[in-house]
Amino acid sequence: MSVLLDHTAERASLSTSERQEKDADPTPLLRVKELRVSVATRAEVVHGISFDVPKGTAVGLVGESGSGKTLTCRSILGLLPAGAEISGGDIEFAGDSITTLARRDAARLRGTRIAAVFQDPASYLNPSITVGAQLAEVFRVRGRLKRRAARAEAVELLHAMGLHRPAHVYNQYPFELSGGMLQRVLIAIAIAGDPELLIADEATTALDVTVQAEVLELLSQLRRDRDLTLVVVSHDLAVIAQVSDDVHVFRDGHIVESGPTRQVLRTPRHPYTRSLVDSHERFGIDHVRRLGDGR
Amino acid sequence: MTTLNVRGGVGRTADSARGEGIARFSALSAVISTAVALGRALLIAVPVLLVSTFITFMLGGLTKQDPASLVLGDSATPHDIARMQAVFGLDKPLILRYFLWLWNALHGDLGSSWFTKIPVTDSIAQRLPVSLSVAVFALLIAVLLGGTFGILAAVRQGGWLDRVVTVVTSFLATVPGFVAAIALIIVFTLVIPVLPSGGWVPPSAGLLRWASFLVLPSLALSLDTAADLARQLRTGLAGTLHENYIVGAQMRGLSHTRIVFVHALRNGAGPAVAVLGMHVPRLIGGAVIVETVFALPGIGSLTKTAALEGDVPVVQGALLVTIVLVLISSAIVNVLLVRLRPAARREI
Amino acid sequence: MKQVASALRTRAGLIAAVVLALVLVLAVIGPYISPFDPLKNSGAILQAPSATHWFGTDYLGRDVLSRVLAGAPLSVYTAFEAVGIGLVIGVIPGITSVYLGRTYEWITLRVMDGLIALPFLIFAIAVAALLGNAVQQAMIAVGILIAPAFYRITRAAVLSHANAQYVTASQLFGASLFRVIRTHVWSKILPTLVVATANATAAGLLIVSSLTFLGIGVVPPDPTWGGILASDLSYLSQAPYGPIFPSLLIMATVGSLNLLADAIKDTSGDHGRVRLLKRRGRRVGTA
Repeated sequence: MSVLLDHTAERASLSTSERQEKDADPTPLLRVKELRVSVATRAEVVHGISFDVPKGTAVGLVGESGSGKTLTCRSILGLLPAGAEISGGDIEFAGDSITTLARRDAARLRGTRIAAVFQDPASYLNPSITVGAQLAEVFRVRGRLKRRAARAEAVELLHAMGLHRPAHVYNQYPFELSGGMLQRVLIAIAIAGDPELLIADEATTALDVTVQAEVLELLSQLRRDRDLTLVVVSHDLAVIAQVSDDVHVFRDGHIVESGPTRQVLRTPRHPYTRSLVDSHERFGIDHVRRLGDGR
Repeated sequence: MTTLNVRGGVGRTADSARGEGIARFSALSAVISTAVALGRALLIAVPVLLVSTFITFMLGGLTKQDPASLVLGDSATPHDIARMQAVFGLDKPLILRYFLWLWNALHGDLGSSWFTKIPVTDSIAQRLPVSLSVAVFALLIAVLLGGTFGILAAVRQGGWLDRVVTVVTSFLATVPGFVAAIALIIVFTLVIPVLPSGGWVPPSAGLLRWASFLVLPSLALSLDTAADLARQLRTGLAGTLHENYIVGAQMRGLSHTRIVFVHALRNGAGPAVAVLGMHVPRLIGGAVIVETVFALPGIGSLTKTAALEGDVPVVQGALLVTIVLVLISSAIVNVLLVRLRPAARREI
Repeated sequence: MKQVASALRTRAGLIAAVVLALVLVLAVIGPYISPFDPLKNSGAILQAPSATHWFGTDYLGRDVLSRVLAGAPLSVYTAFEAVGIGLVIGVIPGITSVYLGRTYEWITLRVMDGLIALPFLIFAIAVAALLGNAVQQAMIAVGILIAPAFYRITRAAVLSHANAQYVTASQLFGASLFRVIRTHVWSKILPTLVVATANATAAGLLIVSSLTFLGIGVVPPDPTWGGILASDLSYLSQAPYGPIFPSLLIMATVGSLNLLADAIKDTSGDHGRVRLLKRRGRRVGTA
């Protein structure tokens, strides 16, 4: 008896192409149309962004700080900071517009079908409650499980996230865990509600490089095994390269280039993209090409 | 490295069982750790108790009151006075008298009044219920009023309620206790003659009657605390509500009530609880004014009258009892604080 | 003083300062400008406020306004005195506890804890009453009981700066302890101290009124603000307006002290300086 879909196991046994055939659904899970976001002083900071996120894919949004990628995410999540608002365009989720939803409906949507993990994992967990209790809370409140059953589910999910000794971790407070472990906990909490879309906004930026790779691998696995659709936001090309199928390059509130990740990173067309790739290589981190080859 | 466990049967059972075992263990250990914390808090209280009781006792020692000559009158000879003093035990050195007094106190003997010869413990026992009921009632009212308005103001930050609460709490901080008491009397006994303006009736004479005598004094006593509590809670909670983990909780679809009471309050209530702890001595000690205005036979008025008469044992005994009550409540408050915010343990 | 000056630039601070200045003036010249002899009884008892008696008369026919004015110096001075005592007894151990070794620190902490454990008002009453029922004793008692608050506040302020790098640096350069404290730490804790003093004076005034209300430190028929209210209590049914003016006076003084304290807090320290400058329209560079 569990909240999580049972048929993910079944789906995991299918190959990628078979799966893609199975749900050849033309409507993208998420569609952003001409999104415009303005800040209090009427200054527009996102100028008509459009992109689609097909179901089951992983889309990367890359760009420097201030390029608008985070604001775009926040708009999708309905978490724009005070003073910022959507001044134009539309966002559709599974065919329905969500920008026009009332707050309560939007909130329900967020909890169930769209989930997110952010940059500073420790700050997103209540410092005074054990991480296990916070995870179990989702099962109790959303899945209406009893205390014991919720705890069992939580421990199991922690194990699935790759945490060793999950029962021990369950009883830890956030300040007792490392960044990587915390991020795994947050990912667990995010998928405990069985969402269709997971947005990872600079989720690995604060982590060590090795841990970063592990967490990204976890996200990819989740995508394959639970049929999760991913949107990965980062300023780091290596992150995008490891995880996403398609990439959109953000600059100053515009998307300057889009396309399959491998292609864009190997043969960038827009000069800005080219400079991003170049500076990445110049500092000796040459995953990009290698990973691109490996796909 | 990273393994995504396809949920199989065996691994699941083992983990759940282990999870349950750990859970039961953690519940027990929570109880134990609270007990330990309480014990530790009480232990720290010992030197504090010693210092405060010593100061209290010294007070008696410094007084120029001399029960011997008071009892014997003007015609007493120095010899008689010295003998009388021996009877009162006043011939021994101060330190010795202090420890004797403390020792007796631990056995429940606080001496007797110099004037009425009534054992101090009896006088106190008679009056303690009165003071305690007023203090407890006042605490309840303060928590209810202060808590409600503090939380409401924080949740609706920047709104009209928030502003009203800020103004009212600042205003209440300037009102002396006796002014509040007098104002309440004017309103509830003169303008709308609904409650008695003073006096006391034990609960045995009817709960409603007893309560009617308690309402105004407790209300008067609680206002100061309620205002402080509301302000601290509003500030603490308002800051907490902006934290990322609150956003996270909202994103998980948790209800607003749950977020405020389960998540936010835990972290935002810290300063409020600490302030409450500081107010408990005031509630116990400040009852003097309320007892005077409303003519309540409590410990406060006992101490005041005894002090004005120079009846040292009574004063010392009453102060001792009050100090013990204050220390116990401080210990409880400290434990509460740690339970609320385990993370704060590191900062202490 | 600089802190007070900058606080005066805010509207709240200005209002508070004006009210306080008024009260201080009253405290000094009050007894000389009262229209009637505060001690003189008359037949016109318990009269409502009128043109001749602005605050009305009390149960012995004495002019309330005159009594209030006459009571001003006592109430105000004694509050200052208590705060002064508390300041000295609290601040010095507060600062030194950080620097003079563990034992000293532990001792001061326990002593202060012991003082805090004492039920304030009752203890003050006991001290005042047992040691000769005069205002002096009461004030000393109140001062001693206020000291722990100053101790804690100063100590916390010093602790937060004691480990600052510039302090360590100056010690490395061979500056003596006293010099370090005077040059670096003192100026940083001064704002906090000033705020605490203002708040303490407000509290002190409340306590003095409470004590005089209860009859401690009062020598009848000398008027004190608390004492006036105490006598009003007995005649409440006949003259319910009696307590209004003295209460308002107390509250106004206490309120403006707190207001001033808030104003100083808002405008002091780095945070406060930035706010002030922004208000004046100067561009402030943010680090």
